[in-house]
Amino acid sequence: MSSRTQKLFVFFICLFLSGLSPIAFAQGNEDGNTVTEQNAGVANEETTTQALSESIDAQFGFIVENMAKVLFWVPVQAVPIPLIVLILFCGSLFFTIYHKWLNIRGFKHAIDITRGRYDNPNDPGEISHFQALTSALSATVGLGNIAGVAVAIHTGGPGAVIWMMLIGLLGMTAKFNECTLAMVYRKVRPDGTVDGGPMHYLEIGLQERGFPFPVAKAFGLVFALFCIGGSFGGGNMFQANQATSAVRGMLGDVAGINWVFGSVLAFLVGLVIIGGIKRIGQVTEKIIPLMCGIYVLAGLVILVIHIKQVPDAAVLIVRSCVSPEAAYGGFIGVLVQGIRRAVFSNEAGVGSAAIAHAAAKTDEPVREGLVAMLGPFIDTVVICTMTALVVIVSGAYNTPEAGQGVEMTRWAFSETLSWFPTILNISVFLFAYSTMISWSYYGEKAWQYIFGTTRTAIIIYRIIFLGFIILGAVASLDNVIEFSDLMILSMAFPNIIGGVILAPRVKTLLEDYWRRYKNNEFVVYD
Amino acid sequence: MALHVSTVVVPIDFSVASTGAIETALEIVDSPSQLHLIHVMLPLETMSPGVLLGDVTDVSRTEKVTTALKKLADDHDADGAHLAVMIGTPGLEISDYAKRYEADLILIPSHGYHGMKRLFLGSVAERVLRHAPCRVLVLRRTDNE
Repeated sequence: MSSRTQKLFVFFICLFLSGLSPIAFAQGNEDGNTVTEQNAGVANEETTTQALSESIDAQFGFIVENMAKVLFWVPVQAVPIPLIVLILFCGSLFFTIYHKWLNIRGFKHAIDITRGRYDNPNDPGEISHFQALTSALSATVGLGNIAGVAVAIHTGGPGAVIWMMLIGLLGMTAKFNECTLAMVYRKVRPDGTVDGGPMHYLEIGLQERGFPFPVAKAFGLVFALFCIGGSFGGGNMFQANQATSAVRGMLGDVAGINWVFGSVLAFLVGLVIIGGIKRIGQVTEKIIPLMCGIYVLAGLVILVIHIKQVPDAAVLIVRSCVSPEAAYGGFIGVLVQGIRRAVFSNEAGVGSAAIAHAAAKTDEPVREGLVAMLGPFIDTVVICTMTALVVIVSGAYNTPEAGQGVEMTRWAFSETLSWFPTILNISVFLFAYSTMISWSYYGEKAWQYIFGTTRTAIIIYRIIFLGFIILGAVASLDNVIEFSDLMILSMAFPNIIGGVILAPRVKTLLEDYWRRYKNNEFVVYD
Repeated sequence: MALHVSTVVVPIDFSVASTGAIETALEIVDSPSQLHLIHVMLPLETMSPGVLLGDVTDVSRTEKVTTALKKLADDHDADGAHLAVMIGTPGLEISDYAKRYEADLILIPSHGYHGMKRLFLGSVAERVLRHAPCRVLVLRRTDNE
């Protein structure tokens, strides 16, 4: 760490430790009075912090509400599906049909590639296929799988799960399309590092398809803007919010806990992204697959214990997906909730994972696309479905005291395995942490696309990113989810439209690759 | 040419313009050994997949860039040129290097950044001009980045 970065970091930490507490505790309460008396007491402090949190949340809510009017525009009032949800669904369906159900026919080959059968260490890139998948999963497997599913069931009813699974399956081919494109148009720098992602393939690819430079650049810029927003929203605030919620569930409503925990999280993320302490990030990334395994295993244990209720739960899910209760907004309401939460969780069509997959060591773009395809399957079809079944068989979804979001999932697990919440809380923290680190990378790549790679530009981004962690811990779940959805789903606008325009290029590559694969022309390394 | 120099620093970012600068530099010096081809890498992003999961380190990056510089020198008949790789802010590192090796000239192509990138990134050439301890020859770049 250079002395300059060190100074910045120390300054930043001091700002946190010294600045936040006075802001949180000494600012005026809602009446405008300032708490100055020494014996103001815990009750007063609590009101003050709460008032500040509420005021921030209210302002944030105002911004979100106005953004939603534009970004979640509903084209046909009679069918209340926001345009972006329609684009995501139709886009994923298009890619699946256009690439001739590659999500099914390419599944086994994708697993073989991930196992390392075709790994050539001399190929250009930074990481193996398996590592690329792990990296992308560490960004997607997170609170979307634990809390997001509970949110989907809470707002869309059990039927939303079917739509989550469906969009998970269709999303596999959307993910294939975008990650293959990211590989085709990535830049390998002379130092061996890689720069790739939708902003690059949109800019270069669309020009190749005959679009004028300003149009292609606009696609790249719009994507990059939403990606930066996504890195502050779903990749950050939502994680911080739900991790804080998990801690609050453990410790109870201690005064100022949101501020304190938010600052601790920001500090820990800052250690890696500003402090340059890569070891922490490395360890976290390596623990994530293990935590996923433990989570799925615990889910399985609960399902085995409740085996008698599983068929009923399945029937409930299927029945409420086709004849949903009016309380959840009818059929369309359930569909929209299912798609929103699934895409939020697996990010298929969103283009974010393409930034990580572009780093894979291979000279076959299609091969990495196939590996990427497994992401939505593991994330949504396996992990989200597991959470959903646990939430339903435990009865948490219709128990008001179970709470919402991560609290509902925790209630569901603890109902059968009373000791599990501790492990769940650790998982929540680690998932949130690794997702934030991965997303800070995505956001920074998008930021660099717009503002360049100078140190000043990069440090500004990183500091804003840390600020959003605290904001996420303080704001309410509703506003955080709305903002996060807005940003992450909006990334799909340029990405899916561009992806459809560039799909013929992917198809040509896929057909050539598939022919060579069927003719056994590939070198096998195991 | 009236310009007599013994040590010329040519920053290389591996763009066509910067490799073209090697040819211009060879016209100025008597022998390729008077050339210093240098590349400045940006600091590693600790949250990148290559660092967290792969084996990307500053050592591995330096090795790769050195190999690329060597090949570049060979391809441009600049065998014998000094090669150096640094990490940091390009403009400052280039000027520091020139100071350290008492260079007479820095030969650098100008970039064609516009809009936001120009605002934030400025240009390496501009920064070198501001900090350089010696004369700087900026080559006009014809293509846009």
